[in-house]
Amino acid sequence: MAADQPSFPTSIHLSTPNAIRMNRALRMSRRDMLLGAMGAAAVVLGAGRGIAATPEAEDTVAPLFLALSHRLTDRDALDARISSALYARIVKATPARRDQIQKLHDLMAGGKFDSARELAKAAEHADPVFKDVIHDIMTAWYRGVADEKVVVYRSALMFDITKDAIYPKTYAAGGPFYWTQTPPEVAVPTGEPALSPSKFVVEPT
Amino acid sequence: MPSEQDLSADVVIVGSGVAGSSIANELARAGISVIVLEAGPRVDRQHFVDNFRNLENKPSYQGPFPCVPWAEHPPNQITPNKYLHTTGPDAEAYQQVYLRMMGGTTWHWAGCAWRYLPSDFELKTRYGQGRDWALKYDDLEPFYYQAEVMMGVCGPDPAVEDLGSPRRQPYPMDALPISYAAEQFRNLIREKTPYRVVHEPQARNTRPYDNRPTCEGHNNCMPICPIGAMYNGSYSVYHAEAAGAKFVPNAVVYRIERDSANKRVTAVHYYDPDKGSHRVTGKYFVIAAHCIETAKLMLYSADEQSPDGIANSSGHVGRNMMDHTGVQVTFISGDKALWPGRGPLETNVIDNFRDGDWRNERGAYLVHMVDDNQVDLATALAISKGYVGRELEEQIRYLASHTVRLFSHNEGLADPDNRLTLSATYKDALGIPHPEVYYKLPEYTVKSCDHTRGLFKDLIGLMHGTDEQWTPGYFPQDHPAGSTIMGTDPKDSVVDGFCRTHDHENLFIASSSVFSSVGTGNITLTVAALALRVADTLKKELTHA
Repeated sequence: MAADQPSFPTSIHLSTPNAIRMNRALRMSRRDMLLGAMGAAAVVLGAGRGIAATPEAEDTVAPLFLALSHRLTDRDALDARISSALYARIVKATPARRDQIQKLHDLMAGGKFDSARELAKAAEHADPVFKDVIHDIMTAWYRGVADEKVVVYRSALMFDITKDAIYPKTYAAGGPFYWTQTPPEVAVPTGEPALSPSKFVVEPT
Repeated sequence: MPSEQDLSADVVIVGSGVAGSSIANELARAGISVIVLEAGPRVDRQHFVDNFRNLENKPSYQGPFPCVPWAEHPPNQITPNKYLHTTGPDAEAYQQVYLRMMGGTTWHWAGCAWRYLPSDFELKTRYGQGRDWALKYDDLEPFYYQAEVMMGVCGPDPAVEDLGSPRRQPYPMDALPISYAAEQFRNLIREKTPYRVVHEPQARNTRPYDNRPTCEGHNNCMPICPIGAMYNGSYSVYHAEAAGAKFVPNAVVYRIERDSANKRVTAVHYYDPDKGSHRVTGKYFVIAAHCIETAKLMLYSADEQSPDGIANSSGHVGRNMMDHTGVQVTFISGDKALWPGRGPLETNVIDNFRDGDWRNERGAYLVHMVDDNQVDLATALAISKGYVGRELEEQIRYLASHTVRLFSHNEGLADPDNRLTLSATYKDALGIPHPEVYYKLPEYTVKSCDHTRGLFKDLIGLMHGTDEQWTPGYFPQDHPAGSTIMGTDPKDSVVDGFCRTHDHENLFIASSSVFSSVGTGNITLTVAALALRVADTLKKELTHA
């Protein structure tokens, strides 16, 4: 009875959800997993030390992505390693983004933009595709997500700007019953959006 | 994998969730030999935590728990579904999720540990609706307490906050202090409405308990508590194993064998992942495989002796599918910052609609103000609105601190037409059919949901809310019940008041599948109490034997 049945590795549940998503047939091999891990390691090493000969490490657009990110987040300090990882994932998912990021950087370099809002507004006016590029960049830095994959979790900027009030899930460090304390008040925002609105769809669970 | 030789024990249990593992623990401690067969794998907590952190769709409660091909479970609540195939006018409202793995679905529950109300057991007698159980609240009360001690339940002092289910002992632990957000909500309800917000009883530590730590408020009870401050079935597995119970993972039971008289179960048969078949004999058998999988197994075990399935002379196996199908809305409060998501996920409830004379025409319900970290949702929403840079950061802080989510558990009703059958189209890797459920929301529940929507609209108004996002249609609550319904008459029920099947004297069912009505409180504590009552019966019978 057993002979004609497929045999599944009993460790198959150890695949991560992202890995499962990449391979819905649940046939991920050990070789695939090793190659995936090696690729990820190469990106990190390449970004940090410039030694690994990966396409990402040599990509001349990667530094432009970081420069654009500074402007679009209105932040002077961003982590270059995270930038490399986010950029690599965005371009891997949508290769056309490389060229679009280059052009968006050209637009920034060719003008004077004192804020993220000014640049974003001008960019969408120049070419509607830049709206998608900027969405990708915002989603990457603030949610830590690119290509529907978690690139960073705790280091996503959304947690940096809320850290005086709340912890990322699974990383609470306030001690028992910290939640009874009064959190900071938040004023009603006065800033305007830069881009035209998009339909907001809550991901199905 | 076990060897090909037959396994045998006094009691053989199918399923290692809270029901199966707690029975195993009780019996093993009484010196009774126990084998528990679990269809899914054994995975440790840290692996699920890692999976969660790497999950993009954080609200996906099934996400960190990928299934194995030999024990599939629903991957999500999306219709059409890859495993639980729902049909009928309210197919999407019955998209339940659950887990098939060691420890069961309480890996991702929120620890809400409600006792049912006395009236919940007598719905027909008191309100002329649905069905009565074949037991009363008082029959279950000692086992409710035993379950609360087993899990470690914290809850309010009845003298201060009476939740309507009479208690002979106080809760094992003091009530959990509610969050700032919940406190603001409670104040609003007290000052502006005739209703009240109560502390939700929870299987969550407010002090070190059972060698598990005090809750640290990671806000991740669902899908996975990172530190084990919240009880889940795996702890009963570990306790039962320490007492000598044997747990076999990756053992997919597919057949229930009976004697020639079809009165006693003699063995169950399971497949290992390679479809090698194994036979396990015993004196007593307990199916504790979750409402949906229990009915599926009993139907799939049909043979010449029982062509409609095991324990199914009534024809009610797979029928009477119920849930707390509810209503959900998210909105932005116009009042002070709440910062939901500090502390555990579900801590407070409006309980005024759990019972009342109106239950003769519409179902009861309860309301959760979900204390859920909204930072990620706020960020995605603010980006979609077109904000960037400094203005985006302002929006994230504002939305994350002002987002409110309300949802309700609305009372279902036993309707034989709401029915689970074996899929004629879809099979798993072992060739076992997927479950299929026809679901039409009972009018009783529709009226209840309509009432809830009215309440939610009032609350949104009181909180000066904007940006309402209503979950379309109805909201499945993953509290399936009724598929092997309890009753006194073997002609229209599957088990008696002790959860023993009418048809087979040594076959018991420990699951929400035996519920005759579904009330409003989360089902797990009642599942555990019924299971402990099964253990009590088995101990008495095996000891006297």
